[in-house]
Formats: sequence, structure tokens, C-alpha cells
Amino acid sequence: MTIRTSIILGIATAALMTAGQVSAQPSKAVTIVLPAGPDRLDPCETPRSVIGRIIKQNVVETLVELDYANRTTLPRLADSWEQTSPTEWLFKLHPGITFHDGAPFDAKSVIYSIERTTDPALTCITRTKYFDGTDIKATEVDAHTVKFVTGKPIPILPTLLAQLAIASPNTPKGKYTAQPIGTGPYTFDTWTQGEKVVLKRNDAYWGAKPVIEQATYVWRSESSVAAAMVETGEADLAFSIAPQDATNPKTDKVYPNSDSAMFRLSVDIPPLNDVRVRKAINLAIDRKAFLGSIISPKAELATQQVGPSVLGFNPTLKPWDYDPEQAMALLAEAKAAGVKVDQEIRMVGRPAMFSNSNEFVEAAAEMLRGVGFNIKLENLEMSQWLEMANKPFSPQRKPNIFLTMHDNNSGDAAFTAFFKYHSNGRQSELHDPELDALIVNAGTQSGEQRAAEYNEVFRRIYQDIVSDVPLFYMVNYMRVGSRLDFTPTIANAVELQLAKLTLKP
Amino acid sequence: MGGFIFKRSLQSVFSLIALIVLVFFLARLTGSPADLYLPQDASPEVRFQFNERLGFNDPLYVQFGRFLVGLLHFDMGESLQFSRPAVDVVLNAFPTTLMLAAITMPIVIILSVITGSLAAFRPGGVFDRLASFISLIGASTPNFWVAIVGVLVFAVTFRILPTSGTGTPLHWVLPVAVLTLRPTGVLVQVVRTSMITALSSAYVKTAKARGVGSRAIIFVHALRNGLLPVITVASDQAAGIVNGAVIVETVFGFPGIGKLMIDSVMLRDFAVIQAAVLVTALAVFIINILVDITYALVDPRIRYS
Amino acid sequence: MPSSIPASGTADVTHTTQTVPGPKKNSALSDILSLLWRDKVALLSAFLLLIVLVCVVVGPWLMADKARALNLMARNAPPFSLEKGWMFVLGADALGRSLLARIIVASQNTMLIAASAVAISIVVGGLLGLIAGYKEGWISAVLLRLADAIMSFPSMLLAVIVLFVFDPGVTNVILVLAVSRIPIFLRTVRAEVLEIKERMFVTAARAMGARTDRILLQHIAPMVLPTLINLAALEMAFVMLVESGLSFLGIGIQPPEVTWGLMVADGRNYLGSAWWLSFWPGVAIMLVTMALNLLSNWLRIATDPVERWRLQTTVGKNV
Repeated sequence: MTIRTSIILGIATAALMTAGQVSAQPSKAVTIVLPAGPDRLDPCETPRSVIGRIIKQNVVETLVELDYANRTTLPRLADSWEQTSPTEWLFKLHPGITFHDGAPFDAKSVIYSIERTTDPALTCITRTKYFDGTDIKATEVDAHTVKFVTGKPIPILPTLLAQLAIASPNTPKGKYTAQPIGTGPYTFDTWTQGEKVVLKRNDAYWGAKPVIEQATYVWRSESSVAAAMVETGEADLAFSIAPQDATNPKTDKVYPNSDSAMFRLSVDIPPLNDVRVRKAINLAIDRKAFLGSIISPKAELATQQVGPSVLGFNPTLKPWDYDPEQAMALLAEAKAAGVKVDQEIRMVGRPAMFSNSNEFVEAAAEMLRGVGFNIKLENLEMSQWLEMANKPFSPQRKPNIFLTMHDNNSGDAAFTAFFKYHSNGRQSELHDPELDALIVNAGTQSGEQRAAEYNEVFRRIYQDIVSDVPLFYMVNYMRVGSRLDFTPTIANAVELQLAKLTLKP
Repeated sequence: MGGFIFKRSLQSVFSLIALIVLVFFLARLTGSPADLYLPQDASPEVRFQFNERLGFNDPLYVQFGRFLVGLLHFDMGESLQFSRPAVDVVLNAFPTTLMLAAITMPIVIILSVITGSLAAFRPGGVFDRLASFISLIGASTPNFWVAIVGVLVFAVTFRILPTSGTGTPLHWVLPVAVLTLRPTGVLVQVVRTSMITALSSAYVKTAKARGVGSRAIIFVHALRNGLLPVITVASDQAAGIVNGAVIVETVFGFPGIGKLMIDSVMLRDFAVIQAAVLVTALAVFIINILVDITYALVDPRIRYS
Repeated sequence: MPSSIPASGTADVTHTTQTVPGPKKNSALSDILSLLWRDKVALLSAFLLLIVLVCVVVGPWLMADKARALNLMARNAPPFSLEKGWMFVLGADALGRSLLARIIVASQNTMLIAASAVAISIVVGGLLGLIAGYKEGWISAVLLRLADAIMSFPSMLLAVIVLFVFDPGVTNVILVLAVSRIPIFLRTVRAEVLEIKERMFVTAARAMGARTDRILLQHIAPMVLPTLINLAALEMAFVMLVESGLSFLGIGIQPPEVTWGLMVADGRNYLGSAWWLSFWPGVAIMLVTMALNLLSNWLRIATDPVERWRLQTTVGKNV
């Protein structure tokens, strides 16, 4: 008996001691918990948040940096730029920078990165999402000046270049790399598959020296576990924990994540081809009731696909009211006009699209049933969902209310309008020649005019066509441990600049 | 014995081939990976380039032929997610899961043989009832639930264990405990059942009637016979541990093969799915052959011709 | 698993069956019922399963509306409070729906999935096992190697792949779970048959020229059945848990369909703030598992002429 007791005591003591060691960290190292691990740490994949959050602006930098708060661009590796003709730009590079492997940062290395990223042998997301069809050519003017020539005028070239990470010229072409080498304030140290990525401070960095010396990235898909890690001091920062886990206002900070949730309506298929029916759907969903219940109270009601941080956002649009009586009246009116309003309509969701999205669609379906719709709810797995989201649409498809989530973190409406609403857009239900013309024209403008034309695009979609049910501009919760002094912003949807983390005194 | 092992290995090759063909085609039925790896607004040309680069534009039989040729050179193709050879990815993850299983199974077997036999010694006694009750709870509780409750209780409230991850031996306590639960629950029931049978069997009764040996010797006799069905079920549970590993690895962020497999299905990473299934299947076959050999050692009546 | 045991439930026999057995009943059913009456634990299990059965049959018909009705004000309402009516005695879920109503409605899918999957694997696995055990040679070898192939394929992975190919409806979940469990029954039955077929009465029947299918179904199958029933009770729990695990990974039954497994999986997101969301459906799974196991152990003894004396007469100190 005594032996057993002493064994138990021994184990307990060992446990306590080791647990103490686990939570104690070197003073200037941080551990960051991500919701999912990276697959490839290639510089040409930085627009994907699983990769961008680790290496973008930490290991690899861009010529131009986005300033989300002011919807503008800032110099980073490039000191300045000018547009010399509609299709020509000159970028002045910051002199005296070297890559982590010693290679100099100059015009040649920029050209190499552009060639590598736009190489058709790889399907880099930077190319396929932002540079596809731009026909961009870079040439050397002198060691620190690069000339960009584009096939057609691209007024937002600096915004596009904010997505393109510059990697060392020793990065192999034509195949992905797992060892990013850049110019950033941190060097890539190790990546243990399925376990962690470690970055170390680059003491030869060309800019201001950051405080944090080392960053370890781990990933936990269970939000409660990620939150627990910060609470117990095992980690310092957890990206996106679920609203119900964000229980401590001292550590849990909310930030907009540039995602907008929406239902897309199949406007060609009866009964959804009747605008009264589409309006009724909008009026029947009590969006406000979700805020603070299953959706974060900090989320905002949406009016259009793009959020307030995007150039082209129309601030004059007001969220739909919740008015079930009017919805029923509209339905009755449509019914009287011969529309088969009691036909079965599919509502399609996707598990884990956002925190509690399953509960959300169940509740929304119930609200629509409440005003007399006949809703069949379905949840599709990612790949099936994409098949339904993208053209070509199945010719036999049923009328559907399709849950989508769109993230536009590039700061410009061009990446949304064509894709979602132009007749040739891959996820567009619309084919309105006037709208098409508006969208195309807006894309060629810049500045105020650009914003005004996109405003009109979104007004038309919202007021005249009513092809969507705008829902929410989503937010994420980040749990920031007590050692750190940091407030997340919308930029953290795709990146986390370690240089901006500071330790509390 | 050598002949037997050779014969079983040969038969296993048959199963493996069946499995590989099944996995190859089943996996490809789940749809194209292009949608998952490309941005949603990717142009048709980009999609074509993607499929061309990876050979997905070829007819299925061409892809299968290529796969078989690669297999002969021990090349299982390249992982889509990681852009590395699939075999490397799988072999990197395999030791963690193997280790989980290797720690868990002995605990399961020792715990359940002791508990089950003690329960069988006096069926209907207090210990028996308690053991049955607890083991049935173990056999019927979802392991992800236990895992999360475990983190909340031991890591957050009492702070005696780390929440998740690997590193120190303490990191293994919760995952192993969670993984142990269900197989132990099932095995306690099985051990108890077969021990009662063995203890009441004719020869034990005879031995008792003759007054031969102590209680302990009778017990050991019964154990030897009672263990046969236990081995069968234990091997099934060992093979099934990958199921538990999927969940444990997901919750605790363990870099094992269970989570890798599920992620690979979600991401349509066919090469990794195939390699992972092959590696786990090989492991299971080895367990099966070991089990058969154990049978022969425990029960001299079984002969292999 | 050749075994014959008094269930842990039959523990009570020591105390409750001290009396002399009652007068002989004519009907076998009433005989069984009177046996059941004496074993209180088995009786309780039977009663619980009866309640579940009632829920399965009439639950969705009675409660479907209540299980669906949203009440965002009553979101995550705690249990044991009758303020909102007895429907909320177990609390409410994240959408303010009555947990009691949802557990009752979910019983139908849960039991349908578990029972059908186990039934299919018993029938298919059992028949194949009979054949594999009785007919040695290549048929047996092929069946066993196929079983090996399925068993070496983690059932969770198989389920995920199949449910990605076909939609994760109730039928497909049943089928995939059934297929993944067939090998267990096949192996168990085969092992039993190998032993039974050498017994006297089988060799006698064979010598008298009985047809193979008759021998298998009339002589051997009844001997194997008790083991199968015991195994099936444990397998029911397994199927419910795998189904729950699939929901945890986001690929099991999809809303608006609901099962206990899905409720536990969804509720786990609220373990820190509202434990009852996942606790009650978990308790439901646990209670059904226990009841099935206790009752199956009891049933096995009650239906076995050799073992039955244990229930009818005073039980000795050592079994």
C-alpha cells in the first residue's frame, strides 16, 4: 500500500514539475496556435491564409504592403513607384537588402520571383488568383529599378503586387519549395510535419529590429483546445477561436476577417425567378437575432459581397429589415400572380464554413418555413459544395438558396464583382448585359471614379436585382496571452506580422 | 512454422492487392482535387494546366497503370498537399501512431485481463458489478468527448497535464488514456465472459474436486484457456486503434497517420491515401500473423500444416 | 468468443431467486417473462429499451415540431429548470431547441442506423462465416482474406471515402458501417463453427446424409446465435460511436437529420460553457449500450437450456 502511495505521489510530483517546464518559455519566444497546419510553405502561396499567416511579411516580403485601415498601399521592399503609361510602371527598390541566403535583393531577383510565380508549370495561388490573364512582364532598368509592362491597363497593379512575395533567386523554378527564403525580419528555421514550424529572428534585417526572437507555430483544429493552450500559458496567441470559447474579454479580441456570408439565390429557376419571392426570403430572416447568439455580437449585418474595408463598398445600402408580415404578403401576392411559391427549395450549406454555420442554416431554414416556404436543408462537403457553386451549373438543378462565404482581402472590388456577378463569372447566377458593362467599365477606372462605379454595381445587385441574401460581415476571435501586447486587425485574416507583437513590460 | 508464415504472407499479398485496387478507384470517385487546390475563380486554362501537370487528364486506366509501375519501384507518387513523395509523408507520420498503439495496447490488455479475471472470479460480486458498469461506460463514451473533457479538466482546471501537442512524456498521458478507454471497456467484457466459462469448465471443476493445487494454479490454468478469444478481440481492437487515433490526433494535434489519412481524403491527396492505407494494412497484417503464432503457442491443439 | 456467462445483471439472482421456482407455465413467453421479473437489473434494462422503442416509433411523430422550434432567447438554457415548461427539463441547445424533444426525435435515426447496420452485418457476416467455417478450402480462404482486407482498412477512413462519393444520408451511413463490421461477425462465427462441426451431433447428421444447408441452418446456426447476440450488443455501441466520430469530423449524418451521435459532436463545441448539450445525448447512448449488454447477457442464459438453471434455482457460491 505504501509503495503504491509513493508511486502515485512520485508520478504526481513529476507531472507537476514537467507541466511547469512545459508552460515556461524562453522570455522572447512566442508560440502561436493556428486552426490548421500549412501544407507547403512556398512564397508563391502566401495569399492562402494557412501559409500567409506564417511567412508573409515575416520570412518573405512584398514590394508593396496593403494598408487595410485606409484602403491604400504602402511601400515595403519598393521605396516608390509611378505609372508611366496606362500599361507601364516603374518601381524603385530599396537598396542594400540581402536575402537570408546572402543573395542580393535587386531588380534581377524581383524579375526571377515574378517569373517563378507566373510559371505555368506550377499552379501558384498568387498567379491563379491575382495574376491570371494580366500578362505581366518585368524588365531591369537598373539594379534597383524594375519596369512592369502589362498586357492591358491595370490601374491597381500596386494592390496586385502586394500579394506577390519576393523569394530568393536560389528558390527552384518549376517546383514547390518547403523552405522559404526571403528578405523578412524572420528566417525560416524548421518545419516538422504535422507538428510545428519554427521561425527565428533575422538579426541582419534591413528594417527595424523586432522584439520577438523566435516564433513557433502549432495547429489545433479544436477551438476549445486552442483556447485552452493560451489560457494555460502553453501558447501566446490563438487565431480564430469560436465565439463560445471567447469567454475572457481580457484576452479574447475580436477582429473583422474580411469574410462576408451570404445566400446566393438561383434567380433563373422558378419560383426564385420572381423578385417578390427573393425579397420575401430577405425579409423573413431575422439576422439580428443571430448576433450574440450563434454569430458573434461583433459581426455586422451585410449589405453586399464586399465589406467596408474594400474599395468599391457602397456605404449607402442599409441591411434588410426583419419583417415576416411583409414577406408573407409578398409571397401571397406572388402566389396570386401564379408563382408556385410552395415548391420545394433546397437550402445548401457546408459544415464548418464558419463557427456554428450548421446551426445557422438550420435556424435560417426554420425562419423561412415560418413565412410559408417549403425548404429542404442539405449540407454538402467542400468538394461537392464547390461543384454546385461553380459553373457549369447542372441543367436539372432545383431552385436553391446557397450559402456562400466570400473573402476579399485584397482591398479591391475587382476580385469580387466579375467572379460573382458578371455573365462570365465562374460563380455568377446573373446575366444582365447592363450590369456586365458596368462591371467591366469599373475595372478600368481608378480612384474615386472606380469606387463610385463599383458602388453602382453593388446598389443594382442589392436594390434592383435582389439576387442574394446578404447576411453578415464575419469576425474572428483571437486569444492573446497575457504576456503579449497586441490588438488584431483585419490584416490578420491573411497575415500576422511578428514584428508588430510586443511583450508587456 | 516457417512454412506457415510464408503461406500467410502470400495470402496477405492477395488481400493487399485487393485493398490497393479498391482504394485507388474509391479515392478517385470522390472527385477532382482541382477545385480544392485552385482559387474558386480559377480560369479553365489554369484548371487544365493543373490536371495536366498531375496527370489527372489521362483516362483512369492510364493513371492506374502508372501507379502500378511506380509501385514496382516503391514509388507511391507525390503528395498533392505537401509536394513531397507520399511515402516520405506517410513514414514521417507513422511512428507517432505506432507509438500510440504500442503504448496503448499493453495497457489495455493488462488492465482488462486483470479486471476481467477478478470480475470473473466471483460473478455477481460487488467488484464484478462495478467492473461491468465502468467498462460499459468506457465502451460507450465517444472518445472525442472524453478527450476534450480531459483537456478542460486536467489541463485547464487542475493544470497537471499539458493540453495538447507532443514533446514530453506527459504529453502522451491524455491521448493514451483516451485511446485506452474503449478497447479496455470491450476487452473487460470479453475476458470476464471467457474466464467464467473457463473457470466453470469440466477440467477445472475436476481439478478442484480432486483438491489439486491452490486457487492460484487453477486460475492460471483457466487463464490459459480463457485467453484465446481475448487474443482475437484484442487484435481486432489493435487494428481498430487507427480509428481512435484519427480522433485523438485531431484533438491533441498529434502528427500521426490517422489525422493524415483523414486530411488527405478531405484534400483528395490520392497518393498519400494510397500510401497510408498500404502502410497501415501492412501493420495490421503483421499483427494478424503474430496473433496466429500466439495462438499456436498458447494452444498446442492448433497445428499449422 | 465461445462463452457462457451469467450477466453482471444476473448478479441479482443470488438475492432474488432464493424462492422455489413458481408453478410451470405453459407458454414459453410467459416463462421468460417470469424469469425476467425475477432479475431486476435485466427487467430494468428491458423496460428502458421498451421506452426507447416507443420513442423510436412515435417520437418523431409526436415531437418533430418541438424538436425543430427555434427559441433564440432560450439558447443554451440550463437543465433542471421548469420555468420554460417540462420540455426544457434537460435544457436547450444552441438554437434554444428542447434537448429532451431532440433526444426523443433523434432516437429514431440513431436506433435505425445502429440496428440496421448491426443486423446487416450479422446476417451477411454470419452467413459468410457459416460457409467459411464449414467449407474449408479456397472459398474459406478467399472470404477470410477479403475480411482481412476490410479489417485492415480503418473503418473511419472507409466511411469518410464512401460518404464523400455518395451523400451522407441515413442509408449510406448504415451500409458503410455494416460493411466495415461484417468481418468481425464472419470471423467469430467461423471460429465457432470450426469447433461445433466436429461435435457428435453434426457428424451424426452428416453421416445420415443431411444436406449441407440443412446442417448449417438447423444444427449449427442455433448454436452460434447466443454468441452473436452478445457480440451484437457491444457492436451497437460501436456503431453509435463511429457514427458520432464521423459527425465530429464533419462527415456523418447532416442536419436537419439528427442522431445522438451528431448531438454529442455538435455539443462538444460548448463543453466549456454548456456541458448539457453533449452530455444528455451521451447519456442516452450509454444507457442504451448498458441495457442492451445486460439484457443480452441475461437473454443468453435464459434461452440456453444448459445454463438456465442458474436463473431458476438457487445459485451456488461458485459458478
